[in-house]
Amino acid sequence: MKKTRFRVVFGFVVGLLVLASCLGVAHSQTAPATAPAAAAPAPPTGSADAELKDATGKAPTMMQLQSGDPGGTITGTINDVPAADTKAGVTLPDVANQVGQNKIAVNFTWTLITGFLVMFMQAGFAMVESGLFRVKNANHTYMMNFFVYTCGLFAYWIIGFAIQMGGAAGNSNLGGLQSLSSEHTVSIFGKMWGLWGQSGMFLAGHTYDVGVMVIFLFEMVFMDTALTIVTGACAERWKFLAFAVSSVIMGAITYPLFGNWAWGGGWLAQLGTNVGLGKGYCDFAGSGVVHAVGGVTALAVSMIVGPRIGKYNRDGSSNPIIGHDISAVLIGCFILAFGWFGFNPGSTLGASANGSLRIGTIAVDTMLAGCTGTIGAILYMWALKGKPDASMSGNGILAGLVAITAPSGFVSPTGACIIGLIAGVLVCVSCSFVENVLKVDDPVGAISVHGTNGLWGVLSVGLLADGTSNYGGSWNGVTGSVTGLFYGDASQLVAQLVGISTLIGVIFTLSLVINLVIEFFIGQRVSIESELAGLDMPEMGQLGYPEFVFRPEPAVLMGQA
Amino acid sequence: MAATKSQGSYLALFWTAITVLCAGVAYFAEGFGKLVLVIGLVAVAMSLFGFLKIKPEEGETATPEGLAALKIAGIFVALGGWFVTIAGLHITPSVPGRLVFALVGIAISLVGVIGVLPVAFGKKTVGRKLTASFPAKASMEHSR
Repeated sequence: MKKTRFRVVFGFVVGLLVLASCLGVAHSQTAPATAPAAAAPAPPTGSADAELKDATGKAPTMMQLQSGDPGGTITGTINDVPAADTKAGVTLPDVANQVGQNKIAVNFTWTLITGFLVMFMQAGFAMVESGLFRVKNANHTYMMNFFVYTCGLFAYWIIGFAIQMGGAAGNSNLGGLQSLSSEHTVSIFGKMWGLWGQSGMFLAGHTYDVGVMVIFLFEMVFMDTALTIVTGACAERWKFLAFAVSSVIMGAITYPLFGNWAWGGGWLAQLGTNVGLGKGYCDFAGSGVVHAVGGVTALAVSMIVGPRIGKYNRDGSSNPIIGHDISAVLIGCFILAFGWFGFNPGSTLGASANGSLRIGTIAVDTMLAGCTGTIGAILYMWALKGKPDASMSGNGILAGLVAITAPSGFVSPTGACIIGLIAGVLVCVSCSFVENVLKVDDPVGAISVHGTNGLWGVLSVGLLADGTSNYGGSWNGVTGSVTGLFYGDASQLVAQLVGISTLIGVIFTLSLVINLVIEFFIGQRVSIESELAGLDMPEMGQLGYPEFVFRPEPAVLMGQA
Repeated sequence: MAATKSQGSYLALFWTAITVLCAGVAYFAEGFGKLVLVIGLVAVAMSLFGFLKIKPEEGETATPEGLAALKIAGIFVALGGWFVTIAGLHITPSVPGRLVFALVGIAISLVGVIGVLPVAFGKKTVGRKLTASFPAKASMEHSR
């Protein structure tokens, strides 16, 4: 066994070295940025107006359009540009306004559609979780994944969004979002630090705005992803009432607070402008904001709830509790991988202007990290346990995707491969650590997939960001591109470590305290009787699979061995 | 116990209460906002005490016995690590110095999170709470 372990570790190290050397080559081959070609001198305005009039005259007539346009060559012309003064016809300002609106329209469409993809990830989470649990808890698990969407959405609408994004004005991709301009700040050591946003509750008043609606939808589905993570770690014994209240509070307070600090102009984002740490805390699509927040909360709640009956023996050793549908697990993983193309590329909040064309790189980085995450997990399990474990393979792709979420906007494809490969191995090691050392029962590996690899993703920005991304020339108010330690900026690594420290020290603690209060008032866990019978009937009043027959479980899983 | 009508009723009250509470916060600057806020707070308190009242109906659970003092200690250690990290930002302007403070802070927090708290929540007693008083009820599996 030791020999096998040595071979695995040796092979892993060699693989990393090969990838790292590729990275070096890729880095050395990076061409210096070329100056944009000198713009041609603009024609005088009078001339432009004449050309516009000329174009209007040449535009297809009504008669031509009535005969159809099978080739698509005459649809969409100057006639489709609205003129402010119909008598004067289309003028240069009209064209400029239309160009501006087109940019915003492209970005709105992009952000909304990628948001819809992220929303669909809820289905993937439901399938993965339910498949990994026993059939007697199927309805309860599906219902948690279903109801968490509602709980989170409502809480986010009434207050969560305001806390997170209430001071996030200034995103020119979505028209400026100027109505989100109220951030509560405190002065510490002569610097102003943002703590939470204050505008946008109920999306009422001046936040009843088209741009705000787009950012609300996009941020809401991210928040819901974080909430869903917790249900996986605590399933098969979490009281539905406690789950509902816990999810509402997480969607209203815990998640939005960290979201504000990282994405809403809060103090973590200000680490660059206030104390000179790189570009401030950088988390492109949410390894920290979404996944690590969900992961550390999952750890806190599963500690409080305790392990399932039968998971551990009297001597502390653990028993495997096999799920009921591996096909649901793997199909769910594919749905999640599909949804991740909304998660990461969508986080540019646009496809036009401000460097948003990097969406291609971001999508490829996302694919590659998922790929190498799967490879890492499969090879690790195969070499060490003798079989390419299916559930761990699923966790491998998810781990790679979680880890690339924060750096996806800042790293090269080679960097993405390295990040994913490490994540794939890390998730296997972490699952074993959580189960056998911490004695925390995490049936789906949510703490490892989202918590451990969320933190790894945040860290990897500080190591592997290659300094080539340029989203409008600055990030978090600091001019330049995000650059990690291996590309010359050690201070970015410190900013990322401050974020990690905040996730472990503050967000975990806050989640723990909130859920201890819920434990005091409500009780987090179902009764022993309900747990043994399965939660479908006691908690939901309906079996997930009513036509299945009953068969006794082994005594060890009834806590009687 | 299991899910009951009382749970549903108090959850509805809680849900309404936090909505009213948030409305009070949103319109705090206006006169009626303060009144709405107070009504929301009272309703939240009522729902919490309702939850507390029906909590014993759940019956015995398999949650391991914990150590309250150790839980508090773990929370303070976890939070203390973060303070070390933040203090480092103001103590030294050098990147290596801040890096060391951040790493030390994370290490301290990890001691609290994965060292102290699992023990506080019964890591050493897992699997010892047997369920012999309950009959081995049937579970469901596929009828192949």
